[in-house]
Amino acid sequence: MKTITLTPKKFSSIALEFDELIPDKVYDWNKEDFEKYEVPIGNSRFPLTDYFDIEIEGSAEGPEEVKMILDGDMGRVKYIGCKMSAGDILVNGDADLQVGAEMTGGSIKVNGNAESYAGREMKGGSLEIMGNVREYCGTSYIGEWRGMSDGIIKVHGNAGKQLADCMSGGEIYVDGGCDILAGIHMTKGYIEIGGDVTRWPAGQMKNGTVVIKGKLGRLLEGFEVEGIYKNPEIHGKQLTGKYIKYKGDIGVNGKGSLWLNAEKNRDLL
Amino acid sequence: MEYILKNGIVYDPTNKVNGDKKDVMIKDGKIVDEVSSDAKVIDVTDKLVMAAGVDVHSHIAGPKLCVGRLYRPEDERRGVKPKTATTRAETGFSIPSCPTTGYRYSRMGYGTVTEAAVPPLEAKHTHEEIMAIPNIDISPLTLFGNNWFVLQYVKEGNLDDLAAFVSSWLKITKGYGIKCVNPCGSEAWGWGMNVHGIDDPAPYWDVTGRQVMRALVQVNEMLGLPHSMHVHTNDLGHPGNYETTLKTMDCVKDIKKNPSVSRDQIMHCTHLQFHAYGGTSWRDANSGAEPIADYINKHDHITCDVGQVTLDETTTMTADAPMEYDLYKLSGLKWANKDIELETASGLIPCIYSGKAPVSTLQWAIGLELFLLIKDPWKVVLTTDSPNAGPFLRYPRIISWLMSSDRRTEMMENKEVHKWATKRTSLGTLDRVYDWNDIATVTRSAPAKILGFKERGHLGVGANADVAVYDLEPEKFDPTKAANAPVVEDVLSRALYTIKDGQIVVKDGKIAKVVPSRHLWSNVQGFEKQEKKVLNDIMPMFNKYYTIKFENYKVHDHYIEPSIEYKVNASK
Ligand SMILES: [Zn+2]
Repeated sequence: MKTITLTPKKFSSIALEFDELIPDKVYDWNKEDFEKYEVPIGNSRFPLTDYFDIEIEGSAEGPEEVKMILDGDMGRVKYIGCKMSAGDILVNGDADLQVGAEMTGGSIKVNGNAESYAGREMKGGSLEIMGNVREYCGTSYIGEWRGMSDGIIKVHGNAGKQLADCMSGGEIYVDGGCDILAGIHMTKGYIEIGGDVTRWPAGQMKNGTVVIKGKLGRLLEGFEVEGIYKNPEIHGKQLTGKYIKYKGDIGVNGKGSLWLNAEKNRDLL
Repeated sequence: MEYILKNGIVYDPTNKVNGDKKDVMIKDGKIVDEVSSDAKVIDVTDKLVMAAGVDVHSHIAGPKLCVGRLYRPEDERRGVKPKTATTRAETGFSIPSCPTTGYRYSRMGYGTVTEAAVPPLEAKHTHEEIMAIPNIDISPLTLFGNNWFVLQYVKEGNLDDLAAFVSSWLKITKGYGIKCVNPCGSEAWGWGMNVHGIDDPAPYWDVTGRQVMRALVQVNEMLGLPHSMHVHTNDLGHPGNYETTLKTMDCVKDIKKNPSVSRDQIMHCTHLQFHAYGGTSWRDANSGAEPIADYINKHDHITCDVGQVTLDETTTMTADAPMEYDLYKLSGLKWANKDIELETASGLIPCIYSGKAPVSTLQWAIGLELFLLIKDPWKVVLTTDSPNAGPFLRYPRIISWLMSSDRRTEMMENKEVHKWATKRTSLGTLDRVYDWNDIATVTRSAPAKILGFKERGHLGVGANADVAVYDLEPEKFDPTKAANAPVVEDVLSRALYTIKDGQIVVKDGKIAKVVPSRHLWSNVQGFEKQEKKVLNDIMPMFNKYYTIKFENYKVHDHYIEPSIEYKVNASK
């Protein structure tokens, strides 16, 4: 087991990019390797040691034996854990854009908030964010119609706009509320939102499941009530209480399911 | 600057040089037969040497590309490379950025590329993009097949005024030649319709594709343009369309070629693969390559390029807007459409060609059938209708397929392609292979001749010093072996040297120098009076229907710096 601890000592207002500092690439790096390394910042590179104190303990045969601790505010560090396939990353603070984007395995935990595009195009592994995430969490790349296909994202706070655009697999859990268009264009997969949702969940969904446990501000026209179920079992989980089940989005011949907590959404009954 | 490329193995079909060990001498940007002792010697002993490549049909500049880049950012991230001391950053796979387009062609050893579809209204934009593409000279073809003025003249049977109109519009757009896409079909699209076959009239105009194509070929020969009329025939992509293609080729055969031109053909049929389908639907579709190849083998008035499917995820873009809508209905992927006022329309849609899919495989096999069944390589040019059947950067891969029937068999046997390749086409029975001379013909000599370039596509004295040297020793290398296919692809993707007008622009597969691309255009002399009359005649309609003023329509000279003007003396 190898533990790599990076402790911030200088803040850069221009974001640093960490996609080269994933367990897959650094599992066999020693201290000198890190000291030699120059990190991309804007259109240039600067020594990593200008920005971080680096500590390494133990050794690793492969990325799965690596634990990286980013011990402080990473609010201006982009691409943390991007494309990683194994190992663990712990962020003891906020994370900037694209944390966990395109990851295929391993785990990332952010003990703060995450900026937009967290878990973009995720294909495996787990991403847990203790605070809030901004827009496009678990979505596709801009323009791309193939989104997150596997893995788990857990957000303990709130999620922003367009959660899981074009999702085709995997699971997303948001404990808090969620802004517009969660699950838009989704074709498969499972999204569970604990809090309230502003508007238009699951627009143009073809298939998959969205569960909303809080109050929904506005439902799209393309969803038809299929029935009301008590303590339904969805995605292998027993939910408690009454749920309204919708099918949609009929605008695109969708066969997805949208479940709304009946108690919280009496106006729709 | 003088150079002497020493001891290369030279393939120059135009001058009947077939793998001879030879020196190539360069002075002041031209090929010469003597250089002074100051000439810089470049040792290319035993390496493969050819003229720089010439592309007869590609989509590299203009509004379609721009729309493609805007609405496919997911394509832009494929092929990202950071900037270097000489190059800008590269982006894109099927729709690369402008500089990337130049670098990639240049690295493959190409020197001249035809931009195959320029709507006059968007000609300025096209030339602006050409200014941003380095290292290749570009000949833009101006779209005429669905233009209201053209349809009006054809309806009236007024070829003299049509000739003057074309001559004038080539000057206005700074175009090199005449392009005609789905004649009458793109106009019908303005009414939400298409035309089927060459005798189905466009709504309102009551003019048919046959009439438009015949008129444009006649006008092309009246003017004596260096290139022939360049046509994308009706019914692209529809099963059973090979019959339309045969009718198209046959409908112009009596028209006399202008005696002053150097080319043999009077019509160039582009991306024939898309027009060579048998059957009645995609369920029973099969190859229509044989009758088409047979027709081309028996007639000399037609040349073609293939539009080879490369089995990639790419972007389709064409002025055949109704066809793009059909594709959208088939695939459901995101679709973009453009209306170009009185002139044409266009559409775009991403397209995934996969060897696992029966239809993609059928298209792949039909393209290769055309290459192998058309006997004379001077009549067929290697293209992918980039990016429609695949991006141009796959040319080296196509060459590896053409040079090795073992590789093709391997692909069919180990299921890299669907069984339709053998079940629905004759590809499995064709063991012809191209040698380096054939490759040099279909990528250099033939396209240059077809386009009417006397100074390109060969290494004779007086030719432009556009030369490609590849890191391969043809005398010691067996390209027919399946295992060597990746080597062919790799080596042809990164020229040892690409020389453009006597300057080394690529060395060891890397861009060594960036030079501006020249805009190649045809300036017809001798029709000035008629042009003036025609402009006067059409101005009321122009002012009534166009959204811009004529003063802003014209491509001014500063949009085409640097340029080469091809003066054409129309022999009326
Ligand atoms: Zn084309």
